[in-house]
Amino acid sequence: MIEVAGLTKAFGATRALEGVSFTVPEGTVLGLIGHNGAGKTSLINILSTLLPPTSGTARVAGYDVVRQGAQVRARIGLTGQFASIDETMSGRDNLILLARLLGAGRRAAASRVAYLLEIFRLSTVANRAARTYSGGMRRRLDLAASIVGRPQVIFLDEPTTGLDPEARHDAWDLVQQLVDDGTTVLLTTQYLEEADRLAKSIVVLAAGRVLASGTPAQLKAEVGERSVTVVLGDGAVGPAALAALERANLTGTYDRARRSVTVPIHDAAMVAEVVGCMNEAGARLDGLTVVEPTLDDVYLSLKGSAATGSE
Amino acid sequence: MSTTLIPATAPPPARVDLSGIGPPLHGAGALRQVLVLSGRSLRVLREPALLVPNLIEPFLLLLLFSQVFRSLAQVPSFPDGVSYIDYLLPAVLISMGMTSGVKSGLLLSTDLRNGVITRFRTMPLWTGAVLLARSFADAALNAVELLFLLVIGALLFGYAPAGGIAGALGAMLVALSLAWSVGWVFMALTTLLRRPESLQQIGGMLTFPLMFASNAFVTTDGLPTWLRAFAEVNPLTHAINAARGLALGAATPSMVLWPLCMCAVTVLVAAPVAMRGFRRP
Repeated sequence: MIEVAGLTKAFGATRALEGVSFTVPEGTVLGLIGHNGAGKTSLINILSTLLPPTSGTARVAGYDVVRQGAQVRARIGLTGQFASIDETMSGRDNLILLARLLGAGRRAAASRVAYLLEIFRLSTVANRAARTYSGGMRRRLDLAASIVGRPQVIFLDEPTTGLDPEARHDAWDLVQQLVDDGTTVLLTTQYLEEADRLAKSIVVLAAGRVLASGTPAQLKAEVGERSVTVVLGDGAVGPAALAALERANLTGTYDRARRSVTVPIHDAAMVAEVVGCMNEAGARLDGLTVVEPTLDDVYLSLKGSAATGSE
Repeated sequence: MSTTLIPATAPPPARVDLSGIGPPLHGAGALRQVLVLSGRSLRVLREPALLVPNLIEPFLLLLLFSQVFRSLAQVPSFPDGVSYIDYLLPAVLISMGMTSGVKSGLLLSTDLRNGVITRFRTMPLWTGAVLLARSFADAALNAVELLFLLVIGALLFGYAPAGGIAGALGAMLVALSLAWSVGWVFMALTTLLRRPESLQQIGGMLTFPLMFASNAFVTTDGLPTWLRAFAEVNPLTHAINAARGLALGAATPSMVLWPLCMCAVTVLVAAPVAMRGFRRP
């Protein structure tokens, strides 16, 4: 549904993208992760025909983004980092305008928009100017605007940046529903957790290149496991705790200053094992945290392996 | 980073049926798009607060020019049997047309800064739709202003040209054509420069000398030779001649067709430039 091959984009001497290739099968989500400046937005802009690529090809819904831009535009929806709405118009008028431009008749547009306002919980503010909306409402209006025409392919550029946790969950649910509905989604994010949660496959972008790609599980295996850190109570039980872990075939590292023991784990059930070992060692627990690998870990680990691989 | 004891399980999402939105849409026809966008730009006609300044302006122009310059009718070269208001009003129509054209460019630059324009660029929208809609909407607004000018001219200032209502409407059409072509020039400049401030300066720099170095307020016979030479090639002089000729019932076909052809040629050149500029990211 989305095929990208050898895509390069240069802005003067700066190379935003350098030979990027990947495919997204129909009805799946691809998570594109990378820091600011990694090239995520340039890629989205090329795929949504806002920018021409310097070289390479990209096909969306079967059409070439350069030569068949009009056909591509007829099949996509984009939610960028900044809300692409008319602030001076009401939420309803914004959506009606888009529906009418997309070909809905007056009455069809009105009912389509009423339904959208309902499912995006904007009905009560529908007739207020969009400039009076909160950040969350604005984002919901922007998402609604992207799916007015029920596009086959949706691009979401950091859709949850700046959202509160509840709104973030709403956005995730929406993505899941879009996919269940058969839509192909390309989503960029700075959060590994988000990509992990939504995407079947992940592409890691750094300095315009694909650093790694695969399923979330594959990537995590490459990056390293999650780990659990327990903070021990009073008493010099550090060595005893490590010994207990060893007997359970676990390896921990003791941080004397923080009085904490960190143990890599494969799955959540191992948290109980670690706690069991601490009980066995007679240690009282003052705290427990599960640490997920972060995007930084992915970066550092992948860059590290890239460096050793090239030697 | 995250501090969850157990991987977070989200509450079951409220299932909504996305298919309830309706069937996929792939874009309206170009004409429909232009009409829908023109309607959006014409919201100003429904909001009195926005429309009133547009109507005060022609009134002030007419009041000031007719009072300040009325003694010019005493000049020997002034045509006999024509009142100054009958002579002046077509020029004010043309002046307003010119201003309206410059305003098209400014309004387009506001359009281009609106967040929704990015969305338009990712939609199956015909390239010319936004520009043509701007042009239509401005023409409609300009027509309202010009009509208002004719009405207050007749009611308050004693405007009663020999050409009658048909002649006055003809003069109005010349002004509309001028506004339309100047509008495309300034829309092209907007898409190329993308800077409303410089646009306003260019507009002022052009409008002011073109209006005064013309036959708008006095006959060119009374001008110094060098200025007269300029005034006689000034396109506004030709537009004013056409409008005045029609209003006074003294127009010859070439007098009217020549300026209209110039307007058409201007649009044919400026419109493709504007569209090319608009397409540029």
